[in-house]
This record gives sequence, structure tokens and C-alpha cells, in this order.
Amino acid sequence: MDMSLVLNSLRDPAGVPFYPIVFQALYILTWALHIAFVLLTLGGMVVSIVGHMKKNIDDNWKLLESHMIQVSKISVSMLIVLGVAPLLFTQVIYDPNWYVTNTLSGLWVVAFIYILLAGYALLYWFYYANKSNSSFAGIAGILSLIALIVAGVLMHAFAHESIQVDQWMNWYAPNGVVDNSGTNLHIDVIRLAFMVSLSAPVVGIFLLNYADYFSKRDDYSAKYIAFTRSLGQKVALGGLLLSAVLFVVWTFTLGMTFHPLVIAIVLFVLLLLAMVAKGINSYVITLVLVVTALLISTLREVIRMNIMSKYGYTIYDYPMNIDWPTVVMFLSTFVGVGFTAVGFLLTLAWRAGRTKGVYSADSTVTKLADSTVAITIIWVVIFLGWGIIAVFKNFL
Amino acid sequence: MEYIGLYPLFYFPQIGSAWLMGITGAIHIMASHTSVGAALLFAFLAHKAYKEDRPELYEYMRKYGMFLLIFSYVVGSITGPGIWNTATVASPRGISALIHNFVWVWATEWVFFIVEVIGVFVLVYTIGKIDRKTHLKITYMFALASVSTLFLIIGIISFMMWPGSDVWYQTGSASDAFFGINTFPHMFIRIGFMIVMSAVVGFVIAGNLKELTLKNEIIRKLAFIGLSGGFLILMSFLWYVQTLPQSALDLFHTVLWPLNGMSRIITVSIIAAYLFLAFALPRIINVPVATIMLAVVLVLGIWPGEKMRESMRKPYVAGRYVYSNQIIGRDVTGKNIKSEMAIIAEKGLLTVSPFIPDRLRTITPENQLEAGKLIAKLACSNCHALEKGAAYRPLPDRFPGQDAATIEVVLNEVIATGTFSYMPPIKLPEHETKALAAWLATQN
Repeated sequence: MDMSLVLNSLRDPAGVPFYPIVFQALYILTWALHIAFVLLTLGGMVVSIVGHMKKNIDDNWKLLESHMIQVSKISVSMLIVLGVAPLLFTQVIYDPNWYVTNTLSGLWVVAFIYILLAGYALLYWFYYANKSNSSFAGIAGILSLIALIVAGVLMHAFAHESIQVDQWMNWYAPNGVVDNSGTNLHIDVIRLAFMVSLSAPVVGIFLLNYADYFSKRDDYSAKYIAFTRSLGQKVALGGLLLSAVLFVVWTFTLGMTFHPLVIAIVLFVLLLLAMVAKGINSYVITLVLVVTALLISTLREVIRMNIMSKYGYTIYDYPMNIDWPTVVMFLSTFVGVGFTAVGFLLTLAWRAGRTKGVYSADSTVTKLADSTVAITIIWVVIFLGWGIIAVFKNFL
Repeated sequence: MEYIGLYPLFYFPQIGSAWLMGITGAIHIMASHTSVGAALLFAFLAHKAYKEDRPELYEYMRKYGMFLLIFSYVVGSITGPGIWNTATVASPRGISALIHNFVWVWATEWVFFIVEVIGVFVLVYTIGKIDRKTHLKITYMFALASVSTLFLIIGIISFMMWPGSDVWYQTGSASDAFFGINTFPHMFIRIGFMIVMSAVVGFVIAGNLKELTLKNEIIRKLAFIGLSGGFLILMSFLWYVQTLPQSALDLFHTVLWPLNGMSRIITVSIIAAYLFLAFALPRIINVPVATIMLAVVLVLGIWPGEKMRESMRKPYVAGRYVYSNQIIGRDVTGKNIKSEMAIIAEKGLLTVSPFIPDRLRTITPENQLEAGKLIAKLACSNCHALEKGAAYRPLPDRFPGQDAATIEVVLNEVIATGTFSYMPPIKLPEHETKALAAWLATQN
């Protein structure tokens, strides 16, 4: 089978509504954000469960456990909503890969949704059971973590299968007999282990942020802050070392050990190790971590591009039908509504969280709140106005 | 060799793959509509609480918000992408058509999703921890962001039914596709339903309130709000049916209404009676009653309602150019899209589909039945289960006791010519029609 012909036949005949490189860049950016929260969830769940086991012998763990369950809970919501974007953008430029995988593993794709649902529901159970000191809390936490890991393994398998182009027909019709059951599931153990291992440095660095953030509140003891900082440092250092080893092994299996991007990632990991070991300001460490995540996301894309180019597929020659009105709508909403609203909410949450008692908004937060409401009202008016004009133009 | 973009096929026995999407979709609709309705309700309650200095309303909002975090932001936010996933396995080209036309609309909706998700956590967890005026602004922002997600998705869902004119097929502009003839009536139906859902779910939380005066006041307000939403649904529905394509109306009048009409009337009456009763006798509302009624709305209201709406879209899954069996059925000059009907009729599905084992590309007496079964899967399984007596539209039951020759005549004279407006015309070359007929004759 001529896979180049097949891949190009599978492209959507509508083409893409903007330059493919823009979708690619958005994919890299949003996947990095998504995976950051995936890793924070997994790491946060592990810390929560350990805390649950130790909370009766150490009060530090008791407080940390309850906070980390809350962090994991919010993090799952964030990973889901941030995961929508890379899912969207990959379907635009790599539609053949994504849809073939989804049909070959159809049953698992459907199961993924309900496994993730079970994992998240169990996390809430963990949260409430822990609050009421129920003996089921720990079990709920462990089951939740297992379900979330399984969901992660499935999503990894879909990503892995999507670039095994030469295997698709063998999986779909082994020995020439079509199998429509959608039960294919194939994983790359080393790649998976590397990705999961990143949850340790992510949660470790998060704990450093946590310690820095709450060190400004006088109702948090210095002892507790020191405990969380020390824990964060240990987890981050151990995790970075483990991830670095797995990363080298993974890139070795790909034959990319000396690829410039790989070397850059290794250097950034070494930089992170040095910064964590020296106890530099954790917010600066987080910025370096974000850059590292973007580099890893870029590496994934480079690997995919290299594989696809062997089959004569490049996103850059995808036929284009630029749709300017919706391009403008997205960009203006992303910048106008997104930046203002998220800026408002995060600034408010940050300041309220650092305040003991009731927080009264200062002038910056008030201005942000008023701007957010006003901009969103303007957005609604423009959108509906555009719709009414379009309907009048086409139907009256 | 010339291929068309047909993907490998996933088939779920007995119920068919498309129904998996329906199940996930019905759950999502309940959770997501509640979310938007509740966001509007929160803005109303917060406004009232702030203006009238009613701190007890914040407590109700907090409890509702905690419930919403699980109901809408666990179930709803996972089943949302879940619809994508299940739609992808069932109709990859249908979802692809939507993605490639509306990616920026979806991306814009995603911006509002992020605002919503961060917003709901901030809204719920800052109650009593920040000044009330700022909290009121959060509820306004949350309501605006939530309702904007509806504005953005509604045009896509409406386009799935049809754009309503030929303009989009000529221009290819997402604006002409998005703002179709039934976008606005559809939007008002959904807003009405969201309002109803906010009341039905609100009863579950109110049913647990200890303070009777507050409980009765909230339940009566919710009942009034719910009835207003119901009225909006009815009025908008009358407008909506005027904007449907003829094939949908044919299917509605000849098949769907005779089958489901009475049950729909009974369901609407039950929900209306429940809301009236709650308004007149708020004390009868408690958690078990409210929970049972919530289940009634899901099982008797949403599931059959969405099933009917999905069925009315037949034979298409997107924009009246992608058939439910994934074949492109017409030209869209604005996008350089060509119909695939002619090449399939000439060369056959087994020739132009990429994912066909080589040994089945040529039909022989030895593989005729196997090829026929594969053709049935490719051409029919998106709407029909292939097992005799299966739960949903079993294909073999459509040809009871008929032999291969008779079935072949039906395939050529009825199915290939598009006699039923709700079925794609499936015109195949003679050897594939014979193979399909031969396999069907062994199944009935």
C-alpha cells in the first residue's frame, strides 16, 4: 500500500483555514500546558496518598495532604480543559493520523472517557472522604490514581499508534482479515516511563512554589514551610535525575541522542538540577521548567514530522482555505477576553489566597474585574450583531 | 490507484458505533446545559444577595456551586471532549468536516472554557473570602463566559443539520455556515432548556436546605424560572421546525412523530406538572424527589429528544454534504470539495477505500460473502446494526425472508436511487451490489 497516497487521500478535502505552521505552534504550546497539569495531577495525587498514610504521625503531612488533594482536583479540571486545544489542533493538521488511530483503537477511545470520568469522580470521593475522616478515603485516592494513570497510558498509546504508519494495516487487518473491534492498543514503554517520570520534578517544583507562596502568610508556621520546601527539593532532584536517565535512553532508542533539541533539553534539565539544588527563587525555576516543557513538546513534534516525512506527508503543503473572519474572532477573543479574564481571576485568587480573612479588592483587581465584564459584554454584542447581519444577508 | 478518504471502520456490535456517541452526548447535554443555566442563575442570585443584603443566598450558591463542580465540571467537562472522541470513532469524516470548517470557532470556545473553569473554582471558593461586590462581578463574568460557549457551539450543531441556503457551498466561509437558518431558533431552545435544567438541578440542592422559609422561597423562584425556560423552549421550537430541511420534516412527520409523539407529549407534561407543583407546593420538594425527577429528565427528556434530533439530520452528519456513512455526497465549490458518489458507483467501495485487504479488492465466489459483509459495514453500519434482531435498526430485519436476487432488486431500485430521503443513495457497481445482497440473504 502506497502510504503517501493514502495519507494525502485521508486529508480533509475542506483544507485548513489558516497557515498550518500556526496550528503546529499552537499545538506545541497547548500540549506543553496540558501535560504540565497532567504531571502535576499525577505527582499531586502521589503526594496526597503518601500524606494520607502519614497524616496520623505527622501534622505537616496532614495539612499538605488536604491541600494537595485540592490542587490535584483543580489540576484535573485544568488538564481536561487545556487538553481540548492540542486535541483540536492535531485534528486539523494530522487528521489522517488521529482518525486512523481512533478507529483502530475505538473501544479504548470510548473507554478512555469513562475511565477518566471514574478517576476524577474518585478523586472527589477521596476529597470528601478525607474531610470526613472516612476509612475509605485512602482506597478512593489509590483507585483514583490508578484510573488516572490508565487514562494517561491510553492517551499515550493513541499518540504512539498515530505515528506507527507502517503498522496500521497490519493492526486493522491482521493476515488480511478485517478486525473492526477497535481493540488495538500499543505502547512505547520507555517513552511512557519518561513522560510519567516528569511528574516528580513537576510536583517537586510546585511544592517549592507552594512553600514560597505560603511563607508570606503568618498563619503558616516556619516549620511547615521548611518541611514542604525540603520535600519539594528532594522530590524535584530525584525526579529530575530519573527523568534525565529515561530521556537519554528514550532518545537513544530513537537515534536522536545528539539532536540539537535533545542536547538543549539535557542542558535545561541540568540547569534545573543546579537551580533546585542551590535553592534559587522557585518562581524562576518554574519559568525554566516551562521552557523545558515547551522544548519537550517541540521534540515530540519534530519526531512526528520526521516520521511523517518518510511517508511523503508534510503539514506545510496542506491545501488552505483561509477563513479570515473566524481567525480574527479567535485572536481577538484569545487576547481580549482570555488575557483579561484569566488575568483578573488569577490576580484575584493569588491576592485572596495570601490574605488572612476577607480580601477587599484593590484598584488593580477592581479595574481588571470591570474590564473583564465590559470586554465580554462587547464580545457578546459584536458576535450577535455579526450573526444577525449574516442571517439577514443570506436569508432575507 | 485513486483513493477516497475513508478511514478504517470501528463497529460496535448490536447497537452500532453511532449510538455510543448518543449515550455520551446525552450525558454531556444534561451536565453542560445545567452549567450554563446555573451560571445565569448565580448571576441572578448574587445580584439579589448583594442588593438586598441576603447572606443566606450565598450559602445556597456555595452548595449549588460545589454540586456543579462535580456534576458539570467533572461529568460535563469530560464528556464534552468525550463527544469528540466517540464521534471520531463513529464518524471520523463527519467530525473532520466540522473541525476543518470551524476550528477557530472551537478554539474561541476553548478560550471561554478556560475562563469558565478557572472562574467556577474562584467563584465557589471565594464566597465569604472576598468582598461581595467583586464576587458579584465574578458571577457576571462567569455567566457571560458560559453563555458565550453556547453561542459558539450552537452554530456548529446547527450546521450539522444544514446551513439553510446555498451560500456556504459557494463561499466556503465559516460565517455563512455558522449563522445558518436555524442557528438562532436552536440557540433559544437551548437557552430555554438550560434555564429549565438550572431549576431541576437547583431543586436537588434546595431540597437539602434546613431553613424552611428560605427553602420554599428558592424552590418557588426556581419553579418560576424553570417554567419561563419551558415556555421559551415551546415558542422557539415552533420557530425551529420552520427552519428545518424538507428531509427532516418528512422524517419527523412520517416516522419520528408517529413513533415518539405521544411519549414526548407525556414527558413534557410530566416536567411541566413537576414545575407547577413545585411552585404551588414547594414543601413537597426534597432530595429524593428532585433526584428522581432529574433522572426522569435525562432518561425521558434528553435521551429521546436528542435521538430524535440526530435522526432528523439523516442522511447527513455534517452540512448536508457528508453522509452518515462518511461518503461526501455533493460538491462544495467554496472549499474545492468534490462529491465521491460517482467514483464509488463506478469503481466500488472495495476499490476506492484505502484500508481494504488486497485479497478482498477483487470479489470472487470464494470471498463474496466476506466482501459483502465488509461492504455492509462500510455503507450501512453507521446507522444500522448488522445483527439480526439487534437493538437499533437491524439491517437484516429490513429484508425478511428475501433471497439474494430480490435483495439485489431492492438495492438497485430503492437504495441506489435514494428513494428514502433520510437514507444516502448507495449506488455501487454490479459486483459489489451482488456481494452485499448475497451476504444479506444469509443473515435474514
